[in-house]
Amino acid sequence: MVRRVLTLTSGRIAVVILAAIALLAVFGPLLAPQNPLATSDNTLAAASGSHWLGTDYLGRDTFSRLLDGSRVSVLGSLEVALMALVVGAIPGILSVYLGRTFEWLTLRLADTLVALPFLLFAVAVIALLGNGITQAMLVTGALVSPLFYRVARAATLAVARSPYVEAALIAGASTGWIVRRHVWVKVLPPIAVALAQTIGVGFIIVSSLTFLGIGVQPPAPTWGGLLASDLGYLSYQPWAPLAPAVLIMITVWAGNLLADAIRDVSGEAGRAFVNTRKARANRLGKPDPVSTGGA
Amino acid sequence: MPAHLITHRPGPDRRTSRGAGRLRAAALGTAFVAVLTPVLSACGGDSAASSGGSTLKWTSSYFPTHWDPVVGGSGAQFRELALAYASLTRTDESGKAVPDLAKSWEYNDKGDQITFHLRSGLKFSDGEPVDAAAVKAAIERAQKQKNSALFGDLTSIKSVDADGLDAVLHLSQVDYQIPQLLGQRVLQIASPKAAKNPEKLDQNPVGAGPFVVTQVIPGTKALLKKNPDYWDAKNIHIDNVELTSAPDASTVVSGLRTGVYNFADLDPSQASAAKKAGLDVFVQPGFNASNLSLNVNKAPFDNDRVVDAVRHAVNRKEFVDKLTFGYGEVTDQPFPKGYEAYDPESENAYPYDPAKSKKLLAEAGYKSGDIKLNLVIPAEDPQAEIVQSQLAKVGIKVTIKIDKNWATPFFAKDLTFSLYGTTGRDSAAQTLTAHFGPNGPLNLSTPYEPDGFEAAIAKVRETPLDAPDYTKVLQAATRAGLESKALVFTYSQPNLIAKSKSISDLPKNPAHIDWTGVTISGS
Repeated sequence: MVRRVLTLTSGRIAVVILAAIALLAVFGPLLAPQNPLATSDNTLAAASGSHWLGTDYLGRDTFSRLLDGSRVSVLGSLEVALMALVVGAIPGILSVYLGRTFEWLTLRLADTLVALPFLLFAVAVIALLGNGITQAMLVTGALVSPLFYRVARAATLAVARSPYVEAALIAGASTGWIVRRHVWVKVLPPIAVALAQTIGVGFIIVSSLTFLGIGVQPPAPTWGGLLASDLGYLSYQPWAPLAPAVLIMITVWAGNLLADAIRDVSGEAGRAFVNTRKARANRLGKPDPVSTGGA
Repeated sequence: MPAHLITHRPGPDRRTSRGAGRLRAAALGTAFVAVLTPVLSACGGDSAASSGGSTLKWTSSYFPTHWDPVVGGSGAQFRELALAYASLTRTDESGKAVPDLAKSWEYNDKGDQITFHLRSGLKFSDGEPVDAAAVKAAIERAQKQKNSALFGDLTSIKSVDADGLDAVLHLSQVDYQIPQLLGQRVLQIASPKAAKNPEKLDQNPVGAGPFVVTQVIPGTKALLKKNPDYWDAKNIHIDNVELTSAPDASTVVSGLRTGVYNFADLDPSQASAAKKAGLDVFVQPGFNASNLSLNVNKAPFDNDRVVDAVRHAVNRKEFVDKLTFGYGEVTDQPFPKGYEAYDPESENAYPYDPAKSKKLLAEAGYKSGDIKLNLVIPAEDPQAEIVQSQLAKVGIKVTIKIDKNWATPFFAKDLTFSLYGTTGRDSAAQTLTAHFGPNGPLNLSTPYEPDGFEAAIAKVRETPLDAPDYTKVLQAATRAGLESKALVFTYSQPNLIAKSKSISDLPKNPAHIDWTGVTISGS
């Protein structure tokens, strides 16, 4: 699937951006040219050779804080996505096979989780469990999980009723074997779409919470936190919110772009789509011989 | 519109019935619009336009969470409550108590009884009389109501006798601070009839102040109109008040520029933008002081050398430069410099000296990084980041912990290390006991009290405010209090305000916002 995603321009752009963001998350704190927590007397300074994005209200290097903050921002969104995947996809698949009671219970639970406003719920959980990004993200992940539950369940239902699965059952195959051999392969593409989409959603949630000063203890930098603090000093540095805002926007956009690309190339329709593109490309590269007439 | 129709009319001689119909319709339409326009504009959001007169549109960072003054306490929101409530006394520009509901007062010879003589003929906004019985009810409610935030301030008052317009207060000790104490911060007097239902009063204030509350939207907005029965109504020139809870600091200036507000508390970071916008930016005098709160009952602050190391590690100028944009000032006492109680002898007793701080820590047996502290605060605060950075320079590792329920452990004295900022009190003795008294709410180290403070503060209470040596006695009490190892004062945050130029200058009453004589032009 990766190869097929990379055949699309949008897929390539998304992968490049997300890879760059992932590298920032891994190496950002190491690449920071200055200590992101070190204050100085040079407050609210303009961009310069020594401070590429200027300094903040306590004289800290904004570029270093942006790099250092990338890890928390990215890890937070991944936590949301992975938590949602685990809590949503597995019960989604199992709801088709584990009987009506389990199905009814999980469906009602998913409905309930959908009804809860996740940002408000995350704030409430933080008030209850203490101010930490991990607990906030895990809870938010659980609230986003109905997306995976429904996607996984719909795909599983489609496969479970197909003739070849019925044939496998008649032949004596176990449910576990069928799930591993047939269901998982069919469920994976839509889950991959949902996962890529959830990374974007998770990013917005992390940024929103840290913008509100929730989840991360100061002075730890985050992109959302930087954006919030920059807004207080617009009259001194009107350009300052641009860098964190653009980074957040690009990351979310790349997540959505990747989701679209995966959707376009997955399943039978996706394969047909890619084959058509290939055929068109071949035609453009090697034009058909032109008829010269004659019988 | 009719002229426009006339140009399309074929001619007076050839007016058709259809043309006449159009004309009638146009005339009717015009009349309808003429009637509708003022009606619609009156229905608009601007209540000033609808009611006429001058309107104060005040957006405040201290929008009252409680409108019952007993529950609201003596903190900064008293300034907003003072719109609706009057008190026995108020303060003048020198900070001294002057008459408000009480026209005069006198102590007995011993100084343990004070009689307030109330003005005659005054009424609360619900029609109840303002008399000594109302004063007695207000004091007793502040002392006894379960959720009172004022009972700690009234310990000197043993009992109250009401005799018509004379309220006689029997004191448990000689205390000449009472007229200072019973001003707007501590005893805003509510109608006793309304106060019978404190929950209702908390959202429907009924006082005898300069304005009457007509609507309260909890946490958001309050509408008030001038109280014609206020004792000094002739000097109140504002007809309506729209009090709102301040939005994000960065949007306040926009609100002022566009006329959404004409008066606002201002974050120092916005002062430059407000000035550029042509607004009046000024600092109202006040008693603000911020401090580090240490609990000397807990390690490592049970070691005097560690406390002294922290005192020498604090660079006060950095707080002023980075947080007040030059509008604040350093202070190492619970008052700003220049205040009567500020003790010049104690100034700079622990200057910024990181080398000395490190030496003291070494003497106490701590190497760099040995001391790890949690600094617990209620919300994000750049002060905490400055403290963290300054202590890191001497080898103390501070982790900032935001606890939304901070008030519970702070006032239960369970925390080891925190921050606090006072907006001061009208009675300096009250400020001192709140910080340094054994049960002072701002003393994180209860029941610790510095040696000699109890005697010094008792002497302040026993000294009449007009006695020639009062200032000397007061400063001696400050000096005694500053021996406390539980508090390290840092800087004085300015009471920064931005207002439209249409509002005249305010009286410079320290820490108060007094609307007496203030006018709003162009209304």
